[in-house]
Amino acid sequence: MYPPNGNNGDRGQHWEAQLRKGCLEMAILASLWQSKLYGLELLRALSEESQLNIAEGTLYPILSRLKAEGLLESEWVEAEAGHPRKYYWLTVAGRRRASEMAGAWNQFAGNLSALVQPILRNRS
Amino acid sequence: MTDLAQATDLRIENYLRRLDASLRGMQPAEKQDILCEIRAHMVDSVAAAPEHEMSIDRVLRLLGTPEELAQRYNTERMLTRASRSFSPWLLLQTTWRWAKLGMKGTLAFFLALVGYGTALAFTGVVLLKPFRSANVGMWWGHDNFIIGAPAHPEGMHELLGQSFVPVMVVFAFALAVGTTQALRWLIRNRTLPMSP
Repeated sequence: MYPPNGNNGDRGQHWEAQLRKGCLEMAILASLWQSKLYGLELLRALSEESQLNIAEGTLYPILSRLKAEGLLESEWVEAEAGHPRKYYWLTVAGRRRASEMAGAWNQFAGNLSALVQPILRNRS
Repeated sequence: MTDLAQATDLRIENYLRRLDASLRGMQPAEKQDILCEIRAHMVDSVAAAPEHEMSIDRVLRLLGTPEELAQRYNTERMLTRASRSFSPWLLLQTTWRWAKLGMKGTLAFFLALVGYGTALAFTGVVLLKPFRSANVGMWWGHDNFIIGAPAHPEGMHELLGQSFVPVMVVFAFALAVGTTQALRWLIRNRTLPMSP
């Protein structure tokens, strides 16, 4: 068992970071479920709604891949800012994938939730 | 335009020039699309922040160096292609790139090396068989199991005889196909994004 404040601190943070990264694709698809967003809006949505603070240098290549995989579609739209912005939205395949991921996540979280309840009760 | 705005523009253009040079093997339209998107992102991010000078520093830091960003684009692109490909060469190249990003990629690369390497070795002994038919085979003896040509075949038994070539061809083919399918599955089902 790891001591509560021992060397596992870094390990714990690393684990949390890995978990967040693992959820990233689902979070991106979920953010686009209701509306079209451009990159910076998507970053803000991820940060504000799920506390997923990801670097810009990580997001854009993933958006490019998701588009190449046929899960996203994009379009350049002229903006008031004086330059166009690239908006992304879910394709039919993207909506299906998002739905599957959300279902799997919900089941996974529900199953684990029962398991961690005693730990949470003990902490509080 | 103020000096600060000019300096910011200069840094943005410099960043995009380096990014352009580092994005390899892409169609011009695809590359242009990426450059426009990154430019729009930088301009929007700088405009959204009140302190201009610090803002461009922060934006560039979060994007990473142009070379790092290009590498992420190139890797993501390669992984997408590889997940649909049956080319062992492309799968090897892709897992080599992936290996630089984490443990799972390293394991995939070793799987590719071992799987394709063994299939290649099996093919090699099949090709060698007509020229050294007495020595090349599947040998058992002296508590050793050897596929190929043992240095000291005395006291060892060749197990397959005339069936050696067809059996090894089937083994090599099955191994190559199995490795390809396993790598495609690993790439398609990677749970973490490839970018750090």
